Amino acid sequence: MAQIIIITVIGIVCGILIYIAYRKIPQKVQGLEKTEEISSILPGLNCGACGYAGCFGLAQALTQNPELVRNAPCALTVQDPDRLKRLGIALGMEIDASDLIKKALVHCSGGSVSIYDYSGINTCKGASLLLGGNKKCPFSCLGYGDCSKVCPVEAIKIDPGKNVVLVDWNKCIGCGLCVSECPQNIIELVPVKTKISLLCSYTPLRNINGRERCENGCLHCRRCVRACEFGAIIWNEQKLMPEFDASKCTLCLKCVEVCPAKCLIKSVLAENETPVPVATVSNTALQQKSDEK
Amino acid sequence: MNSSNLLTIFFTLAIVQNFIVAQFLGLCPFFGVTKKLSDSISMGMALILVMVISAAACWLITYKLLIPYDMLYMNVVVYILVIATLVQIIEMFVKRTNANLYNAFGIYLPLITVNCAVLGITLINLREEFSLIQSIVAALGGGFGFILIMAIMAGIREKLELADSPKSMRGLPVAIFVAMMLGLTFFGFGGIG
Repeated sequence: MAQIIIITVIGIVCGILIYIAYRKIPQKVQGLEKTEEISSILPGLNCGACGYAGCFGLAQALTQNPELVRNAPCALTVQDPDRLKRLGIALGMEIDASDLIKKALVHCSGGSVSIYDYSGINTCKGASLLLGGNKKCPFSCLGYGDCSKVCPVEAIKIDPGKNVVLVDWNKCIGCGLCVSECPQNIIELVPVKTKISLLCSYTPLRNINGRERCENGCLHCRRCVRACEFGAIIWNEQKLMPEFDASKCTLCLKCVEVCPAKCLIKSVLAENETPVPVATVSNTALQQKSDEK
Repeated sequence: MNSSNLLTIFFTLAIVQNFIVAQFLGLCPFFGVTKKLSDSISMGMALILVMVISAAACWLITYKLLIPYDMLYMNVVVYILVIATLVQIIEMFVKRTNANLYNAFGIYLPLITVNCAVLGITLINLREEFSLIQSIVAALGGGFGFILIMAIMAGIREKLELADSPKSMRGLPVAIFVAMMLGLTFFGFGGIG
């Protein structure tokens, strides 16, 4: 009997202690209000999929750097427009859901010369094991379509003429399966609002001109940077490649006209129009193929 | 009770009877929170705090309440109750008094409310019949050993992220291999003490 009473008393005392602590310790402390506010908007499941220690951890990171929300860390929040709107108000910035939706883009327009005849297993991975692929350019799309095999919505097609894959942005759901599947690492998830893209990922690691490897490759000539009047193109000195700022771009297309290798493309037609499949050059080939059918 | 006795207890629990690799306690944070070095050290600091406080509180409960009333068989229930209450109060206190401290390790406090390592130290103290001072030193030693292993594991895993491991082995599988080798290494201390 004494034991039952003691256990009950310990339980009651613990409860009362928590209550007293809740009442006596000052309610508000400076520095955490904003974190608390963001944390109350987040789903609160503590699933950890964002890579932080629970929803409060993500809220802390968002408090320090609100721009982090552009990387769409919390999938549950991105899918819920109402919650995203409230998060935007709490962070003091406009969050457009279309900024967070991403589509796959293949950074290659094909055209690299074959250096040997590959007749092994019919996959990109098989071909990439032998001298890094049968193309002269080490960053070339091999065109065996590993990405199109994993695509859950069949948004990726192979262009047989140029031996390069095409992503249909109307179908792409931005799952990123193709990105991890590609052995050449040339597929990237880009925001759906991207206006101009570079269809080449050749980095001149050994000061070799891109043109020696491929007819359609980036020459690293910086002509697009000089052509842009709005400062939307920045030259990345480490990669020696242009980078595009979609917020400054007005779609004047001067960079596309001036590019000597024709490897810059417009990935969105204009406002109010749905995104189209990329690669104007390869696109015509795809069109002809569907006409034949 | 002399100081060498306390030192023995400290190093026995820190290295020879290490919580993670020798006693297999606290394995969930061992794999869950060792992706980043800073995270793992914060987690270890929070765990040391909780272990020391709960070791002291549970010693008082055991020797002032449970043994006099002959109800030692209820110890696990009482310990869980007391530790959970203490951790909740500590978390509330840290959250409302010091935002910087809370940002550093406060978020881990709810995660270790009743971690097996925390419950483990109280049961070990009871089994070894430690005094109050010895219990606190044992908790400090256990926490130190925990941080040591967490930091080693996190350091290795940060490097492993860059390593070119086979696709099926990436992430958790290769971490378990590392844990095995770490366990074997610390197995070498087995005969000491």
